[in-house]
Amino acid sequence: MNRVPGTLMRILVGLVLCCFAARGYGQNARLQLANLEKLSDKASHITEVTLDGALLELAAKFMEMDDDPEAAQLKDIIKNLKGIYIKSFEFDEASQYSQADVEAIRTQLTAPGWARIVTDVNKRTGEKNEIYLLKNGKQIAGVAILVAEARELTVVNIVGPVPIEKIAAIENQFKHGNKEEHKKKGGSHEKK
Amino acid sequence: MHFSEDDLRAALKRKDPGEGFTQRVMARVNQADAKNKTSPATEKSRWLWLRRWNLRPAWTFAVVAVLFLSFAWAGYEYSEYRHQKIARENQQRLEQAEEARDQAILALRIARNKLNHVLQHAQLPADAIPSENDKIRRQRL
Repeated sequence: MNRVPGTLMRILVGLVLCCFAARGYGQNARLQLANLEKLSDKASHITEVTLDGALLELAAKFMEMDDDPEAAQLKDIIKNLKGIYIKSFEFDEASQYSQADVEAIRTQLTAPGWARIVTDVNKRTGEKNEIYLLKNGKQIAGVAILVAEARELTVVNIVGPVPIEKIAAIENQFKHGNKEEHKKKGGSHEKK
Repeated sequence: MHFSEDDLRAALKRKDPGEGFTQRVMARVNQADAKNKTSPATEKSRWLWLRRWNLRPAWTFAVVAVLFLSFAWAGYEYSEYRHQKIARENQQRLEQAEEARDQAILALRIARNKLNHVLQHAQLPADAIPSENDKIRRQRL
């Protein structure tokens, strides 16, 4: 009779551990960037890209129809991604955003799983650029690039198994991407 | 009840039908004949148009032709409508896909630029992305 509560206890502890493990495994690589919306009024140039899994899948399918090897390279990068979310603000004057705005993003990146792999600080200008990785075991589950410069604040959040080397090595010339980087299109918008 | 022979004889005695019996009977017969004759005539008049119709095969052909053409036209219009609807949907899907592709390219360009920007500032080559174990911190004064 005394063994039953002990066994139950073990099962309960096991379940709790499983729940924690599952929580760690299924953690969200998507950052909440809504707090940056207020900077839209101050910014002179805004770039916003919101591409969820369905849109990326659609884009990959469209690239599949293209025989161009560049398209194949891009398709290879985006095929397994679950989302790309970018918010970039450029300001005419310095100090248009507060440290609290950036800290709200950094706080999310202190969650379990996220690791800062590159930090570049310029003490003279106060610039701080960082690259964070979210890992699920050996696989990358998300990337966050935070560029906080005097006149620019950019957050790039890529969700899914990001082939980060491939992204860094993307060629400068895109057959379809020779348009202005900040061209207004669908999910992105700009303000000049 | 008991009937006597005299009672039966009195009851079964021959009676005179009176004057005009034959005329009355004939009048009734004629009346019944007349009734029988009017009903089929009315019935026939109801289906008279059909009989007339049977007499005009050209009309029949015209009606069948009109019906056939109407059905054919309606079928063609419906098939055109379906075809246009599907084409419109495909076009919309294609435009959406093209837009998504442009978005993806834009996103990858920005990601590439910012990634390389940070790596350059940290004086790291683009092909040497550090792993989680190689945390790099550079400070510039």
